[in-house]
Amino acid sequence: MISQAALQTTNRVIAAILGGYAFTWGFSVLGIATMVALGIDFHEAETAISLVAFLVFLGLFLWTFAANSMIRVWLVLAGGAGVMMSVGLMLQNSLLS
Amino acid sequence: MTEAIWLVAAAMAAVLSMSWLALAYENHWQQVFPQTGTLPNRSRLKLTGWAFLLLSAVFCLNADHPSMAVLVWVMLLTVAAFSVAMMLSHRPGLLKMICPPLFAARA
Amino acid sequence: MLNSLRMSMGWVHTWMGLVLGFVLMICFFFGALSVFDREIDRWAIPDTRFEPQPMPSFDKVLKPVFEQLQPDPVDMAATERRVVGSLPDPETLKLESLFAYNTHRDPVLLIGGEFAIPNEPIDPADDHQHVHGRATVNPATGELLNDDALKIGSDWFYPMHFSLNLNWMMLGYWIVGLAALVMLAGLVSGVIIHRKIFREFFTFRPWKNLFRSSLDLHNMTGVVALPFHFFFAFTALVIFASNIYLPVTHTTLKPLHEHHEMLEAARTGLPHEPSGVAAPLASVDAMVAEAKRRWAERDMAGDVGFLTINHLGDENAYVSIYRAGSDRVALVGEGIHFDASTGEVIREEPPRSVVSSIDEFLTGLHLQHFEHWMLRWLYVFGGLLGAICIATGFVLFVEKRKARHARNGSQGSRIVDALAVTTVTGMVLAAVGMLVANRLLPADLAGKGQWEQTAFWSVWGLAFLHAALRSSPVAKARHNPAWREQSLLVGLMSLSAVGLNWVTTGDHLIKTVFTDTYWAVAGVDLSLIVTALVAFYAAAKLRAPVAAQQKEQAVSRNKQVNAYD
Repeated sequence: MISQAALQTTNRVIAAILGGYAFTWGFSVLGIATMVALGIDFHEAETAISLVAFLVFLGLFLWTFAANSMIRVWLVLAGGAGVMMSVGLMLQNSLLS
Repeated sequence: MTEAIWLVAAAMAAVLSMSWLALAYENHWQQVFPQTGTLPNRSRLKLTGWAFLLLSAVFCLNADHPSMAVLVWVMLLTVAAFSVAMMLSHRPGLLKMICPPLFAARA
Repeated sequence: MLNSLRMSMGWVHTWMGLVLGFVLMICFFFGALSVFDREIDRWAIPDTRFEPQPMPSFDKVLKPVFEQLQPDPVDMAATERRVVGSLPDPETLKLESLFAYNTHRDPVLLIGGEFAIPNEPIDPADDHQHVHGRATVNPATGELLNDDALKIGSDWFYPMHFSLNLNWMMLGYWIVGLAALVMLAGLVSGVIIHRKIFREFFTFRPWKNLFRSSLDLHNMTGVVALPFHFFFAFTALVIFASNIYLPVTHTTLKPLHEHHEMLEAARTGLPHEPSGVAAPLASVDAMVAEAKRRWAERDMAGDVGFLTINHLGDENAYVSIYRAGSDRVALVGEGIHFDASTGEVIREEPPRSVVSSIDEFLTGLHLQHFEHWMLRWLYVFGGLLGAICIATGFVLFVEKRKARHARNGSQGSRIVDALAVTTVTGMVLAAVGMLVANRLLPADLAGKGQWEQTAFWSVWGLAFLHAALRSSPVAKARHNPAWREQSLLVGLMSLSAVGLNWVTTGDHLIKTVFTDTYWAVAGVDLSLIVTALVAFYAAAKLRAPVAAQQKEQAVSRNKQVNAYD
């Protein structure tokens, strides 16, 4: 029998690592695509994002453990990842067409 | 060769700086001067400590390309702080010799 | 979680730090050794104990060497599985690109290249259609050195600190990446838990109890080296960002990336594909001279660190020459590209942008191409402070809980303590044990490198067994004698490594320091001696609690005996 507390902790850890990673991924996709759309060199954009991405990840990681509501955490992490990923992909398509 | 001299100077400045910054704390001052009835003159110690911190940076800049000097400086401060902590816990008497009376205040 | 910010941060710090701390020990310790990876290579491969040299003449020395370069049999076999049909005889494969790389610390030159293959790939999207070859060269003579010998520093300790030498599915890289993130989280949460950071900056009170003095040391080593810890963990992630940890531009944004590559090839004039028309190679030495002249003109005179030729033997071939970044915090860069058949400059890379300079500084401070011996030692010190910080974290975890665990009959503290012994003294034993094995095994033993790796893992495994078997006192809230026993062994093994180096190569310290100075080997020997001294000191210190414990046990046994009376 797994205790309620253990389940909650597992939820936090998964959210912090995987949820945070998904958000960071979406952030990077959107960030690079936006910068390229704004006329910034591709590799320049890639480098700039790589310098910021892990600080974003770190912030999300810690916030997940400090936050009160896990529903809000998952909404922000998964929702944010999905939205940014889609917008980034749409931007890429319009840049290439 | 001059490079090495600048680096040695930078290291010495870093150790002095960290020593004075440490002595500005009453508990560390007491470790060095137990039962003398004196307290640290905090503002003087801090001022001199910070001045030597900057001096150490200047010495580093004299030795190397600025990009490298920054790293050398930060790492020297780390080692200096660690050494001062070790001196305080093992040989606090050593810090007496860098403490002229002008750093002391009556309790 | 857990009501307050400080409590939730405390949870992250304790539990994430504990789980990934065992990995972080490996990263910090082997990272510290990697600062001197080339020097450890010299110690382990006595045939290469000569002075570092600049990149030799390509036309006179390297060209004939590249003609002898052969495809790597292991890569041949791996490539064969990815293509249709069997590969042709390796002797007949043609070299299509090559590179030569050296640093200011390398007596030997690493060269390599890619051999073209005629086969179609099984997976049409697989565009990696070539076989690699690589060799180690003595740049003074152009003679090929035995590349079988394991470079223990640069090919074992160095990859250990970022991949754990666990290459299956890149698993090691991902574990280390997570550990780096947790290190950053540990630093931030540690600062949040402890509000009085500066008050504890210089505080270490070894005379207090074990918990209190370990906490002092944990806080102090964490705080005084905070910039080091933060930037090394952070840059570790940045270095592998685009290729491993966040490869968005190779996956989600691959179409955009490829589009950019095409535009870039058109803009820079560096041909993306060969033309199919053969052409000879002009003097590369003349191109090197021109590149050096241009660097000097930009007020950054320097040496060649990296040289590549693409589309070798083709009309579209070009030579790229990169400057070694040894006089500043930089990587190889300032590339100048030449038409390989005419020797004319095609493109000179413009100075770096601001973003790219920041990136170069951050990755450069971690990868340390610079020539600065003092900074190297300061880095070793920083790495060891990191290791102390994490090791004291384990001690804190155990000391805080072992009394409670003993009352509840829990094995928690005991397990953590055994793993702590394994990743502190056990890890040092594994590293030193590998060096001892390197000197004991005959140089011409087939697969010597394999044996050395086996020795490394076996010593580490035995250290774990020993730590686990000896750890039962911890479950009774006492000390594990394995700490002391392994410390003694570290001391003995380190000294025997120095002795074995003397016996097998004749390079003793009087020779390597005074009469025939060779700092690479002397430095490793001296470090081993210092390790031994520290280990013996630790063993002596650890005697006290164990002796007290034995006395206490004797007393309680007497009491029991008396109770039966």
